[in-house]
Amino acid sequence: MEGALEQHLDDTMKNPAIVGVLCTDAQGHNLGCRGSLSDEHGGVVSVLARQAASLTKDPTDSPTVCLESDSGNVLVRTHGTITLAVHKMAS
Amino acid sequence: MDSFAHVSPETLTQLYFVINSHLVIVLGYYCLLKRVKGWFFRRCDDHAFEQPPFGSFVQDGSKKPLIPDPNLDRNPTNGSDRNADSLPSSCTDEQTLHKDILQRTALDIIDVSAVISQGLEQHEYMDRARQYSTKLGVLNRTLSQKKPVPLPSLSSHPQQVLAADLVSYADIQQVSKIAAYAYSAISQIKVDANEELVVQFAIP
Repeated sequence: MEGALEQHLDDTMKNPAIVGVLCTDAQGHNLGCRGSLSDEHGGVVSVLARQAASLTKDPTDSPTVCLESDSGNVLVRTHGTITLAVHKMAS
Repeated sequence: MDSFAHVSPETLTQLYFVINSHLVIVLGYYCLLKRVKGWFFRRCDDHAFEQPPFGSFVQDGSKKPLIPDPNLDRNPTNGSDRNADSLPSSCTDEQTLHKDILQRTALDIIDVSAVISQGLEQHEYMDRARQYSTKLGVLNRTLSQKKPVPLPSLSSHPQQVLAADLVSYADIQQVSKIAAYAYSAISQIKVDANEELVVQFAIP
């Protein structure tokens, strides 16, 4: 059943600039991860996305949280009930 | 004066009973009043009293008269045989209740002034202070060994990170697309109903 999700994560990792991807649910439970992002990042990612969403009153406006560092950027975005984090190297 | 000479013994007995019954009634009312007064005061601090207002049918099992007969022997009720009493006199109930309150308060209150301290001598006092400080020192050392982990430094050159290019809009769109695809992939996770969940047991 999870084959579609696994396949999608593998496809995402095929991108050379992306070194990690993580998918969690609203409570931070890890649904799938690849590369530099793993289980332990699930909680932080979900909470960051939820807190950022409370910045705006519009519930349909889902913000993208960007964590910039000298070892790449981590972009976190919520879609529906799942939160996705992508670790991308600056190109 | 010889006023009772013409009165017959029967009349005397009758008179005696009449007066006695009146006395009983008057005394009964008096005791009832006292009990009712006690009941009202009990209402103010309900928790201090356990006895029900009128008799204690439930507690002892034997039925007691509502207005106790004062002709019976009135043994002075003290706090210890309050429960053992078969017919507690209602007039001394208040006293027993007062004693009860005092006992309870005495048990609850810790009177600091009543304790006569033995009086520590100076050297003993200094010894104890030294003992306590050494114990505290040992504890402090064990506690301070567990240092809190300091925050990791993210970068040796933060100005480079801050001055770097912003995250491009293309990146954000890419992440949005990936998130949308992931959501649709997860929505495919569902149970297909193939067979009945509830089956009937058929005993052949």
